[in-house]
Amino acid sequence: MQQLFETEQEVLTALASGKREAAERIYSQHYPVIAKWIRANGGDEQEAADIFQEAVVVLFEKSRSGEFRLSCRIGTYLFAVGKHLWFKRLQAIRKQPGSLPETAGGEDGTAGTWEDDLQVHREREMHYEQLDEALVRLGEPCSSLLKAFYHQDRSMQEIAAEFGYTNPDNAKTQKYKCLTRLRRIFYGIQAQ
Amino acid sequence: MSEDNYIWKSAEGYLDGTLTEAEQAGLEERLAADPGFSAQFAEHLSLLRSLRGQGQNRAFRSMLRDIHRHQPAGEEQSAAADKQRTIPLRRHYWRTAAVAAGIALLTSLLTVWISQNNTVRKTSPYHTLVNIQKDIAKIKSAQYQQNITINKIKDTLGRMGPEAEVNSSGTAFALTNDGYLITNYHVVNGADSVYIRTRDGRYFKTFTVAYDASTDIAVMKVEKKHFRFGKGDLPYSFAPAKSPLGAKVFTLGFPQDEIVYNEGYVSARNGFRSNPDQYRLDLPANPGQSGAPVLDAQGNVIAIVTANETESSNITYAVSTKALHELLRTLPRQTNIHLSRQNKIGRLPREQQVEKLQDYTCLVQVYK
Repeated sequence: MQQLFETEQEVLTALASGKREAAERIYSQHYPVIAKWIRANGGDEQEAADIFQEAVVVLFEKSRSGEFRLSCRIGTYLFAVGKHLWFKRLQAIRKQPGSLPETAGGEDGTAGTWEDDLQVHREREMHYEQLDEALVRLGEPCSSLLKAFYHQDRSMQEIAAEFGYTNPDNAKTQKYKCLTRLRRIFYGIQAQ
Repeated sequence: MSEDNYIWKSAEGYLDGTLTEAEQAGLEERLAADPGFSAQFAEHLSLLRSLRGQGQNRAFRSMLRDIHRHQPAGEEQSAAADKQRTIPLRRHYWRTAAVAAGIALLTSLLTVWISQNNTVRKTSPYHTLVNIQKDIAKIKSAQYQQNITINKIKDTLGRMGPEAEVNSSGTAFALTNDGYLITNYHVVNGADSVYIRTRDGRYFKTFTVAYDASTDIAVMKVEKKHFRFGKGDLPYSFAPAKSPLGAKVFTLGFPQDEIVYNEGYVSARNGFRSNPDQYRLDLPANPGQSGAPVLDAQGNVIAIVTANETESSNITYAVSTKALHELLRTLPRQTNIHLSRQNKIGRLPREQQVEKLQDYTCLVQVYK
């Protein structure tokens, strides 16, 4: 298992293309440490899993972005991001305003990069939420049709059969119509 | 096939790289010729990217949850189950969630109302298209250098009050939040020392990292360690391709001690004597504004102010960001300048765009 990847860079490259082996490797290597830390700081197993998975998603999106580079070890990065996410969550629950404790950052003063990543992450999540909202407002069958194609990666052939179109071309035309409506709704939401 | 279908089809083909050469050429021609179409195309493209990105993000999340389920329950996990919890978080969650849901409902109701008012101040349709770049042969602009009808916008007074020995000044703006910035080569050329003044009135010494005399740009770096312009990443991004003719632009600079705002439009896609490294802008610019950022309506930096014509201060030439990208490409890898591709001000009204921009635009003082 461990022999699959020579370097961390290889793990990240594989992670960027969504390879399960890479995610598994990261999970088995780094989850125990971070989960232990979260439990020691008042979280339970489920919360530890949530936070860790969120941190891995941040890493995943970062590894996919064009200007990707990681200046520290994967473990260090995930730990810094995980800590930050956990303190943010504690803050939200206790409704304590104010700054994060000193320990929330990376130990070596490399706060800059992952803080920016988190900012980008929050914005991306918000963007996706807006997209979700637009998909809901779009209604059926458009919403399901677009999800089948873009989220579930189904072929036009399958979609045509499932949604009762006579052939893939008709389904495609319908898809474009749905996209046109989605675009109007989505940018309407964004402009708010 | 309707226009919309054509755009969707092209955008999908463009993303997948499945366009035929003829289709690709036809598309690029139209993008270059028709700014309205180009703006629409960019929106279509971005929506498709979002849909796909969201799908991949979701798939990745569900894969992680699945991996988690298959994790062997180690000793640590069972030990933790016995351990007493310090904070009863779960109960709090429900309350927080309820409040959040309430707020979400309220905002969704409010936003319906706001959205109706909002349609009036939609942003201009001009939009820079990401990733479609035409290769323009780089032409050495020797002719431009020789020309005398252009005067460099440079001011040679020490009108900065106490700093009587200041020989000239200009404008610079951030390339990265950690202290890289760009200005004109002619602003800093021959200087003994160059200082910038940030929005909060502090002065920082800078040094030259790289310059290109032919295009008149210089990349500087603040000497101080751990320097930051603002809290987050840069709010603006850098246009990867040239803006269309007629695109509305605005600039912020220091023709005087205080920051000054101006707006105008792209009046020619090539600059002085058709210099392809420049734009010709109809934009008021005065001495001291050399090195000022030129942004399009969406808040993408498209150029850097460099010179204006003697007869009219409204005709301004600005170096396109292409020259900047090319200069950065020549730098050694460890320099680590990564231009932001995240534009955080694209949909804000102009006042807020300018407000955010001010943290990243600074006065340059040159001592000779």
